[in-house]
Amino acid sequence: MNEICLQTEKIKKRFGGVHALRDGSIEIHSGEVLALVGSNGSGKSTLVKIITGVLSQDDGQITFHDNPVQYNNPMVAQKAGIMAVYQELSLVPSLTVAQNIWLANEPVKKSGFVDDKQMIDQTNELLKLFQGTYQPSLYPEAFIKSLPPDEKQIVEILKAISRDPEVLIMDEATASLDSEQVKRLFSLVNLLKEEGKGLVFVSHRMDEIFQIADKAVVLRNGKTVGEVAIAETSEDEIVYMMIGSEAEIVKQPAYQNNEYQHETVLFADNIQFEKLAGISFSVKQGELVGIGGLRGQGQSTLLHTLFGNNAYYGHISIFGAPIDFKHPMDAMQHDVALIPGDRASEGLLLLRSILENFHLPNWKSYARPLLNINKARRDAGKISKQLSLVMDALDSPVSSLSGGNAQKVVIGKWLLRNPKLLLLDDPTKGVDVGTKSEFYTLLHDLIDRGTTILFYSSDDQELLRLCPRILVMHDGKIKADLKGDMLTEANLVAASMGSTSNSKNNKELKNG
Amino acid sequence: MVKLKKFNFSKWWKKLNVKYSISLSLLLLIVTTILYTVLQANIFRPGTLNRLLTSNFRTWLPVILVTIGQAIVLLGGGLDLSNGSIVSVGNVILALTVVSSNEPGKNILMVLIVLGFGIIAGILNGFFTAYLGLQPVIITFASSYIYGGLALLLLPNPGGAIPRDYTNVYRNTSILGLPISLLFIGVVILIWAFFRSRKYGRFLYAVGGDANAAYTTGVPVTWMKISTYIISGLLASLAAISYSLLTGSGFSGSGAEMALASVTGAVLGGVSMSGGAGSVVGAIFGSIVLGNIRNIISSLRLNSWWRTLVNALVIVISLAGPGLVGLFRRKKIK
Repeated sequence: MNEICLQTEKIKKRFGGVHALRDGSIEIHSGEVLALVGSNGSGKSTLVKIITGVLSQDDGQITFHDNPVQYNNPMVAQKAGIMAVYQELSLVPSLTVAQNIWLANEPVKKSGFVDDKQMIDQTNELLKLFQGTYQPSLYPEAFIKSLPPDEKQIVEILKAISRDPEVLIMDEATASLDSEQVKRLFSLVNLLKEEGKGLVFVSHRMDEIFQIADKAVVLRNGKTVGEVAIAETSEDEIVYMMIGSEAEIVKQPAYQNNEYQHETVLFADNIQFEKLAGISFSVKQGELVGIGGLRGQGQSTLLHTLFGNNAYYGHISIFGAPIDFKHPMDAMQHDVALIPGDRASEGLLLLRSILENFHLPNWKSYARPLLNINKARRDAGKISKQLSLVMDALDSPVSSLSGGNAQKVVIGKWLLRNPKLLLLDDPTKGVDVGTKSEFYTLLHDLIDRGTTILFYSSDDQELLRLCPRILVMHDGKIKADLKGDMLTEANLVAASMGSTSNSKNNKELKNG
Repeated sequence: MVKLKKFNFSKWWKKLNVKYSISLSLLLLIVTTILYTVLQANIFRPGTLNRLLTSNFRTWLPVILVTIGQAIVLLGGGLDLSNGSIVSVGNVILALTVVSSNEPGKNILMVLIVLGFGIIAGILNGFFTAYLGLQPVIITFASSYIYGGLALLLLPNPGGAIPRDYTNVYRNTSILGLPISLLFIGVVILIWAFFRSRKYGRFLYAVGGDANAAYTTGVPVTWMKISTYIISGLLASLAAISYSLLTGSGFSGSGAEMALASVTGAVLGGVSMSGGAGSVVGAIFGSIVLGNIRNIISSLRLNSWWRTLVNALVIVISLAGPGLVGLFRRKKIK
């Protein structure tokens, strides 16, 4: 076995009340590729950021070549030889390719001036590693902002490599690369492996993990749950580790109401926009359809596109009529409502009163022609009772409410419009358990009344509990449409990792 | 005739535009300068050109220096609205203390104190904005009132007198036919070019372009930002010195109009309000363009409210310009 190059022990990190990491323990060996696997919120990215000094841990120890170390900023970590290829790239858009690759590592002449010529020559050298896989628009003096995502990713990779790191962490480095580029990256990784570097590969693509990694560490809910040698494991086993023992509980079939389900409410055909690479699906009236998958696979973009926020390519029809929303107002007129995930920035006017927030999309219906404030008050009172909103008065500002109650206001203001199609963009993020279960009951009431609901959640458990049908998104596409027997956690996790192996239920998986 | 090397104009223009983003300000500079000279009587009489150059640049130097500082702060992603008030303080201190040319030692000390004040003001601005992460607009707007109040406290009524021996040197010295104020700008550009092509320059543009990315790449972001405010404060102090030598007296509101003029000049010169794009030379051009416009309006003997209107229009167009481009593009897509 190769020697341990970098080790993290019981790393803990909290953001406010949320434990992002409870026990992040990994061992990176020289000359090995370690895959870091886990579903949403398992703490992969946080652990990477702590190792590279972008964040500092609350507790726990990092050991580098048997010496305990503590990096308070990325500069120190880089000097020590730890580099990362970040998921949300660390490139400056207004600088050129060469300037970005050599930023804070510029070749300097004896006089202290930056040696531009050498910088460009060395950049050309580096670009040869990916020669033939990119457009001529990528050259040392091209500006980053003019490059497509895959070429930006290449620059990000070359930047990390140019610093000749001892430990190289690739956080979703392949997400925007095509297969040929991935091949080049992997041959590069193999080269670094032979040189005895320690490599960490974070990916949501199961096939790539099996292609490149030697070992895999699985994180779940911020804890390291185990390490396996890739040669001795299977995709199913890793999926099983990601799910954990909770999955053994036999899943109650989610609540369903078939009363209305004969008419197709929403039909989407080949929607393309930014990350969305051709999305097609249809939803019947009264259905509660979950949208799952790892974060950032285009789920929010899809919902916003359906709501008319994006100029997309493709066809959408609602209630059988083709629609072309150009503005959220058009969507509202078609009884579509979108409940956004980021309530502070997209959902609420924090300083204004609860009443005003409730009625922001609805004032029009109270004008006759003067504002009927009493009726507005009565309706707001009714809906807050229905949502069991805990508040001082309708006139107190929304900022005085707790997270869960504030989210109720966001939901309530759209419910007042009696939407026929409700789009939910991760609405339970940062909401307490009690409010969540109230929220679930509310959704059931809504389907009983024939409302159609499209529900994106980053919490797999929540989706499984609530939705009789789940569309799993992966890389801007719908990877799986799970319902009935196929709707198991194993299938959900496997599809969100881009794996296509399907099994009927967890039991089988465990035995097999 | 001298034979010119084959010259590819469009390539050269593009380079000027992309690499230094000064093509627009250069164009404006040429157009306004031509307009201005055409409006001057006796432009071809010997000595006129030199006289105009001297009188204009000695007037413009304070604003140009402040604009250079503003450009550097903007490039680093900040904003300094207090630079004008730093000029006021410096001007007031000098007008109160430098009253006789018989005590050169004391006068030099006062100049050093003025420079020191600029640096300290810059450190304070930098500390609150970059280190504590507060909004530059709010912090420097507030500090502009603090420094402005200090100037008013020191000198409630305009007054004070800088010795004539000093002011004459500033007003009338020419070396090789070029006024001392213009040469001083040249020196500042050279000093800046020196830092621009070292790591400092690279870091500055990176921090302004995307502070987060720069930080993860290992650039000392906080220190870079603080340093831009210090440079701005120092240049404002130099502006105070030149302003005092120009007017020979002190006035607590002397720099009040410079803050906005510095932002307008820098933006007109191609410096982006959101940081990371533009150049110091462009900002100087922008500042000169503003000066030219002012001169053109006064040579046309227009009512002074025209000057205000044109100034306001220049501010609106130069600040809203980048947004307008985006607006039209958006329309096109839809």
